[in-house]
Order: sequence, then C-alpha cells, then structure tokens
Amino acid sequence: MEFLNPTALYGLLALPLLLIPYLVRRKPRRVIFSSLLLFTEPALRAGGKPMGRPHLPPIFFLQLLLLAVLILALGEPVFSVRTSHIAVVLDNSASMQALEDQQTRFALAREKALGLFADLGATGKVDLYLTVPRLEKVRGTNLGPAEAAGILGALEPADLPDAPIDYQSILGQLAKEQKYDRVFLISDHPASGQGDILRVVTVGQPRENFAISSFNIAHSSLVGSGLEATIEVANFSTKDARIRVALRGSGGVIANRELSVAAGKTARATFTGFPAHPYYQAEIDLRDPLPLDNRRFAVPPAAQNFRILGISPRPQALTSLRAITGVTLDLITPQEYEKTERSGYGLEIFHYSTPPVAPANPALFVLPPDNNPLAELAPPVSRPVISSWREPHPLTRYVNFALLRPAFSRPLKPRIAGETILESPGGPLAFAAERGGVRQLVLGFDIFPYLGRENLPVSVFTLNLLDWFFHGSGVKGRATGEPLTFGSAAQQGNFLLTPREDKIRLNPGSNSFPSTYFQGIYQLHRGTQRELFAVNFNSQSESDLRQPTPIELRDLSRGGNQVSGLFSIWPYLLLLSMLLFLLEWFVNPRRLSHRLPAGVTRGA
Amino acid sequence: MLPAPFTPQFLSQLETLRLRTRKEFLGGQTGTYSSPRRGTSLEFADYRRYSPGDDLRYLDWGIYARSDRLYVKLFREEVDLFAYIFVDASASMAFPSPKEKFLPASHIAAALSYVVLANHDHVKLHLLGSSLTQAASPFYRGRRRITDCIQFMASISPAGPLELAPVLAEHLKTLRRPGKAILISDFLMPAPSYQQGLNLLRGFNLDIAVIQVLTRQEVDPPFSNGGLNIVDSETHAEVRFQWDAGARQEYQTRLAQHNSQIRSFCHQSGIHYSIYITDLELDDFVFATLPAIGLFK
Repeated sequence: MEFLNPTALYGLLALPLLLIPYLVRRKPRRVIFSSLLLFTEPALRAGGKPMGRPHLPPIFFLQLLLLAVLILALGEPVFSVRTSHIAVVLDNSASMQALEDQQTRFALAREKALGLFADLGATGKVDLYLTVPRLEKVRGTNLGPAEAAGILGALEPADLPDAPIDYQSILGQLAKEQKYDRVFLISDHPASGQGDILRVVTVGQPRENFAISSFNIAHSSLVGSGLEATIEVANFSTKDARIRVALRGSGGVIANRELSVAAGKTARATFTGFPAHPYYQAEIDLRDPLPLDNRRFAVPPAAQNFRILGISPRPQALTSLRAITGVTLDLITPQEYEKTERSGYGLEIFHYSTPPVAPANPALFVLPPDNNPLAELAPPVSRPVISSWREPHPLTRYVNFALLRPAFSRPLKPRIAGETILESPGGPLAFAAERGGVRQLVLGFDIFPYLGRENLPVSVFTLNLLDWFFHGSGVKGRATGEPLTFGSAAQQGNFLLTPREDKIRLNPGSNSFPSTYFQGIYQLHRGTQRELFAVNFNSQSESDLRQPTPIELRDLSRGGNQVSGLFSIWPYLLLLSMLLFLLEWFVNPRRLSHRLPAGVTRGA
Repeated sequence: MLPAPFTPQFLSQLETLRLRTRKEFLGGQTGTYSSPRRGTSLEFADYRRYSPGDDLRYLDWGIYARSDRLYVKLFREEVDLFAYIFVDASASMAFPSPKEKFLPASHIAAALSYVVLANHDHVKLHLLGSSLTQAASPFYRGRRRITDCIQFMASISPAGPLELAPVLAEHLKTLRRPGKAILISDFLMPAPSYQQGLNLLRGFNLDIAVIQVLTRQEVDPPFSNGGLNIVDSETHAEVRFQWDAGARQEYQTRLAQHNSQIRSFCHQSGIHYSIYITDLELDDFVFATLPAIGLFK
C-alpha cells in the first residue's frame, strides 16, 4: 500500500491533541444548582481528586478511530494492482544541474528512476522521455529495466530552460495513447493533485543562487574604437552579497571587480579599455548550487563602423549622413531592397518607404507611406510644435524642442505597441517599438538632409537616434535553444564546432543551426574563415531556485475496460469515517436544541 | 391589570371551583363549610328531646305522632373557611431563574387564593424564607382582593436558605383560627426537615395540602459530561463529581425516590400531595391535577 498524498499522514501526529478536550474537561466547571440534596450521595461523587488517571470514556476511542480513519483517507492510500508498463519522464532542464550535497539533481533523478525500474521487476517495460528541448521519447520503446538503466546512464541535462509543457494534458494523453500503467515525472518542481496514473517524483530542495543575468560587449560609442563590457549579476537569495566578477578574454583574466548585490536584486559592472579578443567570458567567483549560470560568453562586434542601409525613393537626401564620423552608408531604392544582402547592417533607414516584410535589422521609418503596417498617418501639418516628449530618454537628451520645428509633419496613429517619444497637438510624431529584440523607430517628420550645425535641434536628435540604434545593435548573445542564423548559406565543407568540441558538418545551403542546447562559443568554419557565436543560458526562472513553480496535476479517468495500475481504497475509508461519525453522533448526542438555562454558568 | 395567566376566562373557570376540606372548623361567620356546631343550615344533623324554650318550628311532628314524645331536629352549622397558603421563598425557588420557578409557584398560590376569595372565604399568604419569617399578608376576603394577593407575591424576591420547621413555627404563632393550609415548595430538603414542618401544621389541626414545584432543569439537569463543581444556591456549599450519563440516571433515580418519599409521607399523614413541573400548562394543573387529588370539590 502507498499513499498518493503522504503529507496528510502528518495529521496522525496531531491525534494526541484529541486528549486535550478530555483533559480540559477534567478541570471541573462551576455550576449553580438549586440544591445539593441529590448530589451529596456517595455514589454520585467521583473525580474529586484534582490529579490522577484521565477518565477516558469509550467515546474517546471511537473519536480517535474516526479521526485516524479520516486522516488515512486524506492520505489517499492505494494498492498497487499491476505495473507492467511505465513511462519515466525525466526533467533535463538546466535547473536539474543544481547541486544537492555533491550530487546534481539530475543524478538524484537518475537514482529515483533506477528505483522505479527495480520495483518493476524483470518482465516490466519502460519508456524513457526527456522534457527539453521538447518532450520526446529517448531511443526505443518497451525497454527492459536493464536496458533502460543503461540508457539512463548516458543521459544528461541540457543548458535549456523548462519547456512550456502542460504536464496534465501531455502526460495524460501519453498515458492514454501509449496505455501506460503509470507515468512518472521526475523533476525538481513540486507537484500537487497527483493521481493514480500520473505521479511526480520531486528531487531537490529550494536553494539560494547567484547568476550572471546579462553580459554584453559593445563599442563604447559611435565614434570610439574601444570596447565596453557590461556584466549584470542577480542575487536570488535572502541576504546581500559581495560578489567578485571577472572578465576573461580568450581564457585569461583581463579584469575583475567586486560587486555588492542586494538580496533579490541585480547589480551591474562595466569594464572599458580592455584589449581585443575573439571572444570574452564573464564569471562570478562563487560556490553556489548552479555553476552553469555563473559564467557567460560574448563575442565583440565585428566592425567598428556603424553600417547603415538607406532605402529611399530620393536617396540623395540621405547622403548627408556620410558627414557623421563612424557611419558607413549604403543607399538603395525600394525596388532594390529585396535583392540586397542586408546582413551586417546596424540600421536600415526607410525613407518614404516600407519593406514588404518586417526587417531583421533595427529600422528607422521616416514618413512611411499611407499603407504601412506600423502607423496610420494623419493629414499633413506645417511647422508643428513639439508639445511633449519623453524624458529622460536617450532620444531626447540635449535637444531643445522649443527650437525643433520641422517644416512639415504627419502625426502618427500607431498600429503596433510602442512608446511615444515626441508628441504634437495633432498626435505623436515619433514612437519607438521593439519587435523580437530589434529596435524600430517611426518618425512623422523628415530629419533629412542632415545639416549639422545649421539645424542644431534636428541634428542633435539625429545623432541621438543613431546612437540609440548603435547601442541597440551590438552583437547580442543568443540564448540556448534559439537557432543560430548565419549571414550566408553554408557551403560544402563548412562545419560548426560546438562548445563540447563536437564537429557538426553543415548541409550545403543551410543557413541556421537549431540545436544550441549547451552554453558556450559555437564556431562556424568556412574554409579558413571562422565566425564565432556566443550562446548563453538565459532563464531567470531556472536560475531562481528558491520557489520552483509547482506542477498541477489531476487524476486521470481511464476507459472502463482498462485496469488502473492502482486500486484506491480512500473512498471506502471516507465512507467508513462517515459511518463512524454517525455512530459517534448517536452515541454522544450534542444537545444543540437544548437551551441552557440562565442560572447555569459554564466554566469556572 | 392581572398578569398573563389570569385572564377573564381563567378567573371564571376558577370561580366554579371550591376548596374541599376534610375537617370541620369553627368558623367566624356563616359560610358554606360545615362546622362541628349545630346550626341553622338545611343539612340535618341529629334529634334532641324537646326542652321548654326550644323553637317549636323544629319539632318533629311525625315522631310525636308515632311515639307521643316531643323531639326537635338539629341542623349543621355552615361557616366560612380560613385558608393559609405558605409559599417557599428561599433561594432554591429562584433556580434557574425566579421567572421559571418562583413565578409559577406564586401563580398557583394566586389561583388558589382566587378560589377561596370567590367563595367569600378568607385567605392569608405566608412567604417562607430565612429573612422573611414574618412575611405574611393580612386576611383577604372578596374576589377583588386578588390584586392584593398578586401584588403581595410580586413584592418579594426569593433569597436565602430555608429551615422549614422553625420558619413555619414562627408563622404558626400568629395563627388564631384553624383552617386549610396549602404549602407550596420544591421540597429539595432532607426528609426530616419537611416532615417536621408538616407535622407542625398537622399539630395546629389544619387540613393540609402540599404542592411540590420543580423546574425541568431540576428534573433533567442540562450539564454536559465532565467534571463539575456544583454550588448550592442556598448554602453556597460546593460538591465536585464527574457528570456523565450514569450520573444523570443516578440523579433522576434519586429524585424519583425523594419525591416518592414525600408522597408516601403525605399519604400516611392525610395530606393532599401534587407535583407541578413548571414547563407544563398552569391550566391543566389547576383544572385537572388538583381536582384529581381531591383539593377541589
């Protein structure tokens, strides 16, 4: 016999509390009665001694039995009838790498699974599943326990967050379709409402953890040549901590600093003036349960110059941008857009035009045509006044909006979610949006040509927006699980070297690699050329080991002809407890309807 | 304004009743109760030889014709009745509250008083209590005095302990005429105590009736099971014991024995006895129970 809700059995510890009413009753209550004439007979005098053996009437033992049966029923006891075919679903997300007394949670899960195999006997059949990157079966079906144990030894957790799985429906469907007697999910998440078929085995305890939540390498400014590294550290614990952060370049430490991080908060360290390396690594020097998130990787931007692709029916208006130091400008007409290779551009400026599909690069839309998907344009207004602007904001700093009076504007009615930056009485004139991590800015007035000091307010605003795009277009690390996309399609002989030194040959024509399951530097080799990609584990919910999200399960109702693997006896215990309650009620009736007379006082 | 049970209908029903006495008393005035004296009522009593000066209207001419001797007929004298109603006003009569025990007892006393008053007889109320030894009303006569009776009963709250025999002895010192005595009490006292009291009444040649008044709480105490410290309402003495179903049954058995003892003593002493549980209807008790024990004609 086993219990589906063993927590309820702790209630048995509370059973001795039933003695309290009986012990309390031993303290006599003082009541006034008309005469003691009929109470003074020796036969009626009892319990006169203040101390002594508690007087426990038979009803006490009946009540004790009733409570014990009720608590047992709440524990949902079941008898195992038959378990010949089970599925074991192993949570192999990154949090399973957390250490629990020198062992990872995944190792504990493996031990639990081996225990399940041992209970199954030699004739039982097992199917093994992993939860990330998606719930899928591991190798063959109907494995014998010994074979499954062998496979289990080779499995390991990935550097991936939990997949968004509705365990109730997915595991339920699995049990029904594959006709499993039981489905075990072994995870570090607690579970509630387990049934007789779906069972969750929880490994690990809530822990405090620290993590690098962000690591970015970018040029310090549009015109500068130096690099700037920003490292953000998160404290998922209940106490403040001082953490040493180190920046490594190609393996060696090039800078470090100590950060003070408040409990539950983040802190940021910025490093500048360090030498160029092919890639960088940020590390925190701590012994916490999850070492995976104590380091991150980043690749510096490939080129210093900010490359802009201008798309305009009147390209000559944009040529003035070339006057800005650090900017490389390519100009095309809207018709040439589709045929142009656009990778490597930090910004695409659509001047009086829009692309047929949303651009992959950051984009500035200057007075887009009427049928654009971003904003509806109001009738033209000449020399509008900027009535309000967002402040503080990188786009509006140093701009004197009293002097910024465009000759012509069309107020915008945004069709996408964004943030209004400039507003005129007729409506917004600039709004910013971020779609898929890519910045976009829509302007309802023309900032071109760039006139430099001849039109300072517009020039400052133009420089602000270029700076804003420049900082937003740094080489961003990819998260584990996100596919790597290459600038151009792979050719014969190209291969990818993963952080685990696995050499993966790329199919000619393919321009992406989806299986980024481990954190580190991925190297794309194209002949003698080498391109680096930083892939980082990036999930705050996984790094925060304090309160894992519980898994909600309900019992499964299976088809009538199928025999459940468990026989529930708790309904019978519940029925028995109700019968005992009725018996107790009749044996020891409460005088609910009996009004206590005013002269009788209860209690001392 | 009379209190609730004394409705016009209730009073008119009471007027149809008359106290029954099993003894003959020497009354003060002409009434409806027979006296040991010879008088002028219509009820024949005896013959006596004629002696000069006798009223010739009472000569029995039939006897004279048969025996040639002169006999005069003698008739019973009918006198009025003096009734004494003793009501226990000790603290035990205020359990669980005066409204639930003493008030019903005083209602019985008032109803009996009205029966006496409606027959143009005399009634006197005595309240028995430790500090009320001399709490007695004057004699009332005439049905209008029922309000005085009720006011007298309402003027006093039950309190204190009661030693029945000494208190009764104090009251009996003021008694000048024999008559009917009705004692209303819960009789929750030792047997020797109430027996002495009733014997005192008997010694005064009174025709005695006893009405025992108990509440439902006294018949079936509403204690929940467990240890109890019971305090006597009169003496404030405490007794501790374990209350449970067995104790409840034992108590009820002892109460039944106690009541049976009172009934037996009354029966042997020629005393009318009746018991009234206060949650029962007063009408039923007065018009059914009391006539059944022979208190009313």
